[in-house]
Parts: sequence; structure tokens; C-alpha cells
Amino acid sequence: MSSSIFILDETLEPIICKNIRALPNLPSLVTKFQELYRSNGVSPLPILNDIDWQFLHIKRDSLVFLSVVENNSRCNLLGVFTYLEEFYKLLKDYLHVGILNRNLLIDNFLVVIELIDESLDFGVVQFTDSSLIKDYVRVKVNLPELNPDVASIPDEESASDDDEDIKRKHKHKHKSKHKKKSKATKLLEKENLQEALRKNKAKVVDSIKENILNEERWRFGGTDEEINDDEDINDRYMNSYIAKTTIMPISWRTKGIHYGKNEFFLDVIEKVEYFMDFKSGVIRKNLIHGEIICRSYLSGMPKLKISINKILKQDVQFLSNVKFHQCVSLDSIRARSNPPAVEEDGKKKNEEADTLGNKGEIEFIPPDGEFLLCKYELKRHVKDQPMIKLRNFEIIPKLHKFKIKIHVIIETHFKTTNSTSKLNLRIPITNLFQSYRIDLSKQPKFKCEQGTVLFNLSDKFLLWEVGTMNGGHGENTLSMMAEFALFNEEEYKKMEEERKTSMNPPPLREGPKLEELYKKIHEEGDSDEVSTRKKNESLLTMDFEVPYCTCSGLKIEYLKIEEDQLQYQSFPWVRYKTISDDEYAFAV
Amino acid sequence: MSDQRIFTRYRASEIRTDLQNIDIKKLKSSATKRKNALKKIIANISLGNYGEMLELLPEILSFWQIEDDFEVKRICHEYARSLGSIKPKITDDILPFVLQDLKSRNEHLQIMALRTLVFIPSASFTNEAFKFIISMVNRRNASEELTKTALFALIQLDDLNHNKVTDLFNIIHDTIQQRSDNPSIQVAALHTLYAIHEKHTDMKPLQITVESCFDLVERLSELNEWDKGLLLEALTTAVVPQTHADSYDLIDIVLPQLQHVNTFVVLNTFKFVIYLLNYVDSVSENIVKRLSNSIIALLNKAPELQFLVLRNVILLLLSREKPLLDLDVSYFFVEFNDPIYIKDTKLECLYLLANQDTLSQILEELEQYATDIDIQMSRKAIRAIGNLAVKLDENAATDCFNLLLHLLEFGVDYVVQEIISVFRNILRKYPDKFRSSIREIVKYTDAVQEPESKNAMIWIVTQYADFLPDYITVFEKLNSSFMEDPLEVQFSILNSSIKLFMKFPTPETKQLSGDVLRTCVDMVNNPDLRARALMYQRLIQLANSQYGPYAALDNSLHEIVDSNLPLIELNSKLDPLVLEELALNISSVTSVYLKPTSQIFRLNRTKFLPQSPVLLADKNKLTINDGPSFSRDRADSKAKSLPKRTPTMSDYDKPAEKVNQLRGKMKSSSSSPSKLVRKPSMLMKRLSMKRPF
Repeated sequence: MSSSIFILDETLEPIICKNIRALPNLPSLVTKFQELYRSNGVSPLPILNDIDWQFLHIKRDSLVFLSVVENNSRCNLLGVFTYLEEFYKLLKDYLHVGILNRNLLIDNFLVVIELIDESLDFGVVQFTDSSLIKDYVRVKVNLPELNPDVASIPDEESASDDDEDIKRKHKHKHKSKHKKKSKATKLLEKENLQEALRKNKAKVVDSIKENILNEERWRFGGTDEEINDDEDINDRYMNSYIAKTTIMPISWRTKGIHYGKNEFFLDVIEKVEYFMDFKSGVIRKNLIHGEIICRSYLSGMPKLKISINKILKQDVQFLSNVKFHQCVSLDSIRARSNPPAVEEDGKKKNEEADTLGNKGEIEFIPPDGEFLLCKYELKRHVKDQPMIKLRNFEIIPKLHKFKIKIHVIIETHFKTTNSTSKLNLRIPITNLFQSYRIDLSKQPKFKCEQGTVLFNLSDKFLLWEVGTMNGGHGENTLSMMAEFALFNEEEYKKMEEERKTSMNPPPLREGPKLEELYKKIHEEGDSDEVSTRKKNESLLTMDFEVPYCTCSGLKIEYLKIEEDQLQYQSFPWVRYKTISDDEYAFAV
Repeated sequence: MSDQRIFTRYRASEIRTDLQNIDIKKLKSSATKRKNALKKIIANISLGNYGEMLELLPEILSFWQIEDDFEVKRICHEYARSLGSIKPKITDDILPFVLQDLKSRNEHLQIMALRTLVFIPSASFTNEAFKFIISMVNRRNASEELTKTALFALIQLDDLNHNKVTDLFNIIHDTIQQRSDNPSIQVAALHTLYAIHEKHTDMKPLQITVESCFDLVERLSELNEWDKGLLLEALTTAVVPQTHADSYDLIDIVLPQLQHVNTFVVLNTFKFVIYLLNYVDSVSENIVKRLSNSIIALLNKAPELQFLVLRNVILLLLSREKPLLDLDVSYFFVEFNDPIYIKDTKLECLYLLANQDTLSQILEELEQYATDIDIQMSRKAIRAIGNLAVKLDENAATDCFNLLLHLLEFGVDYVVQEIISVFRNILRKYPDKFRSSIREIVKYTDAVQEPESKNAMIWIVTQYADFLPDYITVFEKLNSSFMEDPLEVQFSILNSSIKLFMKFPTPETKQLSGDVLRTCVDMVNNPDLRARALMYQRLIQLANSQYGPYAALDNSLHEIVDSNLPLIELNSKLDPLVLEELALNISSVTSVYLKPTSQIFRLNRTKFLPQSPVLLADKNKLTINDGPSFSRDRADSKAKSLPKRTPTMSDYDKPAEKVNQLRGKMKSSSSSPSKLVRKPSMLMKRLSMKRPF
């Protein structure tokens, strides 16, 4: 596997170097890579090779993650790439940021080195699950002070700063704080959950105590684990279950997790990708990318049972296109993913399932914290209406009045009880500017039934912010109208003439001088971006979000949480959301 | 707090004063200060400031001794590792400290120490590492994680001392066979063996018995994602199924892993299944569908992964007459924001996927790319259209040709150039089919500039001069800038002018060829070109002396200058043996370059399919069943294979849900992978269940 791992910044200068197989001269490797990378143009192949080395690299957030592999080792490249990708995710997770940058890595370089150390064992990947690795690497993450999330819980922060030494011995204590903190950060993002957070914070101290007690109880109750009596108390905390987690059957969850309030959040998020050629009415793409994201704050070793209507109904397409997190036993859905075509066989299977009370549900022990339960990809039928459809797009030139109008009508196709929480349309007007001489010295006029229309001069589009729009089945429509003035040569000449002869100053104008701004923006540096922009010029894109609704009709039938030993009350929360993917567009 | 100031170059003395200034009374603040100073050391090592940092060895050693903070320990070890590999001299001072850590009771520290031992390439360190591992093995009570680290360490130690590692082989083999509580140890052992076997070409390929393979595979669900991947990787070629039933069983057990979220696992499963398919005689459509689905799902990953997957798809498409995958072409349509390498690979896939049914769809797509704003892309698309015309049959060629003619009307410079080059290939494949369009093509004589397209145009004009009344003028136009043209164009002008003279021995052509010959002989500096011109000149003189001035009709002369060209064919098939090897190397370097291992790395072992009574000799004989008869096959095979397996001692202390007789059918209904929750009531139900047959 990898012989060394580097993280380089934008200029390909190394930030982190980690030697894995005792290579003698790391800096020379980097120089070699820099040469190769630069000589290979704009987007070099992800694998570059030299006589002795293979350089596998991925670029994420302006950082280059590089793994150098000896040429003669028959290594599984895919493994390396997957590792780099996972490692990137791990870093983001660990540092609680959405985007990594150079400074962040430099601030936390020790953490990064340790993370590499723990996730690779002589180049063989061990685990990359952030919730697990947090138990190993517990260096305090060094984030910029500005972070509002951290600032909002100052008492905890300062507490952990003060007696760091003491805490390090009591790893568990520390851990639970860690968790609270990470949890807190996540929760804070969601405003509606702040209430819950406050309650939790009050219970922090209690929970720590309880945690230790619980542990003691288990230890002497003698469940599965051996008891290491002879070790002194400090060592016992340090060397407890955590170390064994990675090699246990359930490698994704440590024992002894405790929360004051046991909650489980499940979000079904579907991204709709849609592409239609509006002129010809041909639908090029109609896809759903779905994800079920869970956040679990549950104590002990809970067993979850989730029933999804798609699995229940044995939706063939869903079953064949779904990918589950490693915690879900794939055997449990196997029977159903091989749809029995022979009728008898099928019946038998169903009966069997019934007798076991296992009706198309998935059963698993969740990891702690946030994780991606499953991911699926569904193709929709061409005739299935998109969530929001462009009904009409017209450019109406009124040449005799020297005016040109754009008329847009959209309609919704989802349940009337739902409504969009966000809906933005980008209406391209580049073509309009190219084919007509638009006179921007006269203010363009915009009118719409709902929301506001904004004019983006530099990128040449109109942004229609609709906001909330109710659902419907084609009957609920909204329209928008924009009017531009065309250049009127006669009038212009007349004006010029008048100005020459008359002594009056030119008429006073109010508002921004759009034509001058336009000129300024488009005179310089327009040509270099032509190619990238070209594609978007004729695309009307939409950006929306519809809560409480799934496009595919996926539904969580029930969600059961069972913890046999602790028997606590738990709170499962399920949410649905449909949002537009990057590509939700109509070519007009 | 920002660590920016830690991450700058320091002198050794500066850090030393930092370390010495620490006030012992103020415990808390000094601890952080000390840590900061140590961090600076590591930062400087990452910056490559080795010389200065080397001087701090005594300080580090003193900390090593007194400090029991884990973080500091880690820094010390990191220091030892980075500098140890550069300056082996210092290592002897460090050794006692590492050994001390190794003896500690803290498992974590032990692991860290072992890693450091293995990491530093010095004889004393290596010996200590071996000593530790052997004693650990003998004690047999080491913690599991330490065992795992030790096993992986062996891979690295093998580089340093192969013989000592081979001595341990028996023990490792035992580890694999023993059904321990913890399958991940077994996997680690298997991986170690696999890696070492791979490295040494003189060793026989790793083989494990079908029984132990079943043992391992059955516990897949207990493994973590990376271990799953490693296991499946090692099992490919390591296990040789002896009966069809074995293969079917294995396939069935691993198949669900295709739905794993980790790409590594998915592709290794894929590889394993493909490998096993060599040991069966028929395969159900269901499997084909699932394999295809899993590949398609992988195409949504990050571009780099996508690239690898696509390369492997190409491989699989190439590998059989009737591909194992059933992929819809639309998945390979290029997105405008794909990186170039993905676009290329997708085009290649499209080319391979093309057949009668999909052609219209693909052509429509390629037409779009051809008019793309990206010049490279549009050239490649045109090239692909041309190749398709040559690859497929006559009807398809007509479609492609018409499309190209249509594109020609765009008149964009590079498009025209590329199309002309492509036309030559099509005309060579179908010399008589497109005669009517020659006039259309020749209109673009002025547009061709690049050597390749110019060559193509010259060839077309000469070859189809019969249909061009004004071929002389056209040719002269091409000839006009002879002296400035690149060498290859000059060659083709020379050849073609002679060819024209042979075809139409008229005064005009004589004049033309004479001019070209004279220029070549008198004015050109390149000796090759001059020599060729001289050769032609002599040939013509020879013919003239025998048959008179226009005697170029002589057959032998014709044969030399204007003989029939061999039919062109695009060879997209690789050697079956090579393909077989590549299929065993899915997701490694070789499958990316589509070249056999021996060509890329001379010293590496080439993989081959191990012999077995059920090895399918001819891959194309593998039949794909329409129905789901596979499940019935499975049932039969299960019935046959089960009694054969003798239960081992360790089977008996397994919980009831793991009893082998209930395997298969039970698995489908019991989903719990864990041994944690076992309600007695549930167990009763399971045990009283009657098997359906």
C-alpha cells in the first residue's frame, strides 16, 4: 500500500509529510511529483508515474492529498484512492469544518499526523470512521477563535482547558465531554434543536458520573469483556474497551457511550436531478439521488429497526441501487434483494419473514454521532413530472414599441399540503443580449406574482426569488414578466441632435447607470471565461427545497429503538426533504 | 490560538532554551509550553529542517524518560521515526527507550513502540522487533490489536529479512486456520501472507483450502469495511474452488457486499466474483444485473475513483465476446464538467459499447461533443465517430459517414481537419461505398493545414482521381507550398504525384511528377526524401528505356507504386491470456494501463488462474441464464456441498444461530450480525424452524 502520505497546498508545497515505509528522501519525492504534476496540464491524471514511483493524488478544497506508492509493489490503487477520500472526510469531520484549508492543517498538524498514524498500520488501512478514531486521537482541535459554536459554550471550554492533565488520565470523562462538544456543535447548526441542547448541557455533569458508574456496573457484572483486575486505576481507564473496539465484531461503536437524553435523528434527503430541453420537450435526465443521514445520540448498544416502505414493497429498482453503511447487516436485506420470480418460492420467503416478525425492515446497531445510513440512486420515468416544472418560457419582442418581454410560468407537482421553503430561478438572458440590442439606459421592468426579481448584470441572468410556493398537480402556477427596452436608433439620433443644438443640460437620471456598469464588466476579461460560461448561457436553473416530502415516495414506516440492558426512553426524529441537485435545469 | 508560529523554521538552540525555561513549579502552564516546544520540533522535521533538529536528541531522550503523557510519547516516537530513517547513527541511543515502551503494560504504547522498531531500518531494531514478535507468538496471550499490528509489521520486516519471516510462516498459517474469536486477526494474517507471496516471485502463489475460505467468508459481516476489502482481495486466486457448487456458494455469500458503501469493498467483491465466474459453467442474469448495478453506482463517486472504475469497465468490456456487464450507454455520456481524463475514458467506453442498437444514441451524443467548445474534446469525438465507422458494419458506416458530412458543413477549422483525417480511414475500409461524396470532401482542400489531414487529403485526391475531372488543379493546390510543408507531407506528395502519373500517363501528370521529382532531388536537404525521389526517377527511367516514354503502364511498376492496400481493421481485442491476467488484477496499476504486469514491472509475478477440475477453459462458453434459475441452482449446490464440510471442533461452541445446517435460508431472515442480543424466545423460533426442503 502507500509508502508515504503527503498533504500539499495549492502551490504543491508540502504541509504534512508522513513517511510510512521508511523512505530515505521524502523531499525529493515531492519535487518529483511537482514536476510531473505541472507538466501534465490543467487536470492531470489522478495517477502519475515515474520510474520508481506511482503518485496517486486527489485534489480537495485547494489541498492535494498525495500518496506515493512503490512501483514494484502490486498495490490496490483503488484502496489507496478510497483511503485518501475517506481520510479527507475524516479530517473534515474531525476538525468540524466544511472546508479544509492550509492554515487549519498547520494549526492542527499534530492531529493530522496522528490521524494518519492511527488509520494506517504499515500502510494497511485500519479504519477511517471518525467517531471511532476520536477515541484514539484526543488532541484538542485547534480552531480559529471566531467559531461561534465553540464560543457559545464557554464554560465547558474553559473547564476543559484548565485541568487538562487530570482529564487525560480519565479518558472516559474526557471523552464524554468531547462528545458533548461535538454534539453541541452539530446541534447548534440546527436552530430548532437548540432547546434540546440546553437541556443536555444541564445534564452533562450527571451523565459523566452516571457513565463511570455504568461502566463499573458492567465491568463487575461480567458481560462479554474480560476483567483486567491487576491494573491500577489509571491504566484501567486508559486501556478500557476503546482499544478493543476496532477489532470487535461491531467495530463501529464503542461501549460505554452514555447520553442523558437519548435521541436519534433520521433525515431523508433526496436530491432531484432534472434536465429538459425545453424547446424540443426532450427530457434528458430525471434522477433522484437519495441519502438517509442519521445522527445518533443513544446510550449503550441500541438495536434499531427501521422499516422502509420501498424495501417492504420490494421495489426492485430501489433494492438494486441502494448502498448501506457498514453497520447494516447486508444479509438482512439479501432475501429481498433477490426478488423471487418463481411464485412459490416467493411465498415461502414471505411466510418465513412473517413468522420471524421481520417484514422488510433493516436492523442495525448504529455508530455514534453522525453517519450516512444509506444512499440510493433512482431513475424516474420520463413521464414523471418534475417537482417544479417550467410551463412556459417566451421571449416576446415588440419591435414597434422597441421593447422586449420575457415571460416565465412555473408550476408545481407535489402534494398540495407541502410547500417549498426556498425556490430560486435563474433565468438566462445572455442570448437575449446577443441577439438584440438592449438599451440599458432605460430601466428594465420586472413583475412577478410572488417574490422578487433581481438582475445580475455581470453574469447576465435574472434571479427570481420565489420563496414559498404551494404544492399542486399542475394547477398551481406562478408567473413572472421582465421587460427590457431595445435600442431605438431614431430616438437616439433625435436626442443627439437636440443636445447639440439646445443649451439645456442633458436630462437628469435617477438610479444606477446600468449601461455603464455593463460596459465596465464586459469589456475586460470577458473572453477567458467564455468556454466555462458557454454551457450555462441557455440553461434556466432552479434551486429549491421542499421539506416534509420525498420525491420518490420513500417513507420510513417505523423506527424502533431497543436497548435491552438500559431500557431507556428514546426519542426518534424523522424528517424528509427534497432539494434540487446541482443540475436541475431547462435548456431554453 | 494559531500555530502559525510553530510552523516556522527554528534553530536548535532556540527550541532548547524554550525547553529549559520551563518552570517546574507551575505545572499546568509549563506542560503546555513544553508541548508547544516539542510541537515545534515535529513541525520543523516536516519542514525538512533535519540537521538542526538532530541536535535536540538529548532533550528528546530526557523527556522520553520522565514523561508519561501520551501526546509527548507520541511526539518522541515520531521524532525517532523521522530522524531514524535518515540518520541511522542516532538510533542506538534511542533503542533502550523504545524497548522500555515495548515492555509497558499499556497496549497502545506497545503498539507505538513496535511500529517504531519496525520503522527504523537498522539491524539492532529489526532484531528486537523479531524477538518481540516471536515471544509474543509463543506467549499466545497477546492482545488482539497488538497481534494485528505485529502481523502487518511482518510485511515490512520481510523487506529486511526474508528468511526470518518465512520461519514464521507456519504460525501465520495456523492463525488463519484457527477459528479465533476475532476474524480480523485471521484477515490480517491472510493479508500478510498474500502480500509477502506477491512480493517474491520465487515463492509459489498463496493457496488456502476451500474450507478455511468458507470459514472466513462466512464471517464477513463481522469485519470492518477495510478488512472486508483486504479479505476479498487476498482470496482472489488464493482459493481454488474444486466444484461448481463451491463457486456458487462463495458467490452467493459475497454478493451482498456489492452494495457496500465503500468503493474498495465493492470493487474487490467485484473482482472476486469475476474470478469465481471462471469456475462455473453458467451464471444467472440476476448476477449480471447486480454486477452492472454496482458498477453504475460507483460512477457517482469522486472523479478519481470514477476514473479507475471506468478503466476497469473497459477491461471487462474487452474481456469477453459477450460482455458480462449489461450497461446502458447513457451512463457513459460525457458531462461538461468532467475532467479531461474522465471524458477520454468515457469516450473509449462508448466506442466499445457501440453496436447496432445503441449506435444512433451514441452518434447523437458524439455529434454534440463534436460541436463542443472544447477543441480537444471535439477532435476526440470526431475521431471516435470515424473509428466506429471502421469498427461496425456497412450500415453503421453510412450513418457515421453522413454525420461526418453534416459536421463538415460547420466549417470550423479544426473540425474540418479532423474529419478529413478520419475520412481516409473510412474510405480505406469501404473503398467503393462513398464515391459519390468525394467531390464534397475535396471542396475543403484549402482548409487542410495540419500534416495529418493534409496527408489524408492528398491520399484521397490521388486515390479517387477518376472521379475528379480537375484533379490536376486540386493536386497543384496541395503541392503549392511544398518546400514549407513538413517532411511527412512532402513524402506523401512525392508518392502521390508518381501514383497519379502511373494512373493517368498524360503530359500533365508527367509534368507534375517531373516537377516534384526535380524539386526533391535538387532542393531538398533531407537525404531520405532525396533518396526516395532518386529511386522513383530511376524506376521511371528504367521503364522508359524498355517501353518508351509513356510506358508507365507496366504492371510491375504499378505494383510497386500503386498496389492494393491491405484492409484496415481496428484491433480492439487484447490477447486472451493477457486479459485473463488483467481481470485478476482489477483495481491495480495494470488494469489502469491495460497492459500485462510483465510489461510494466518486469520483476513482478504474473497472476494466472489456478487449475481446478471445474476451470472453464473457454470463457465464451459461460452461459447466462434468463430466468432466476440461479436460486434453484443454489439450493441444489447447497444441498450437495453442505454435508461435505466436516464440522470442526470449534464449530460447537458457536452460538446456535451460527450452526451450519441452518445457514443460508436462515441468514436471509435473521439479520442480526451481532452476538450481543440473543433473546431466548427468538432462538427457540429459529431452532424449531423446519427447513423448506
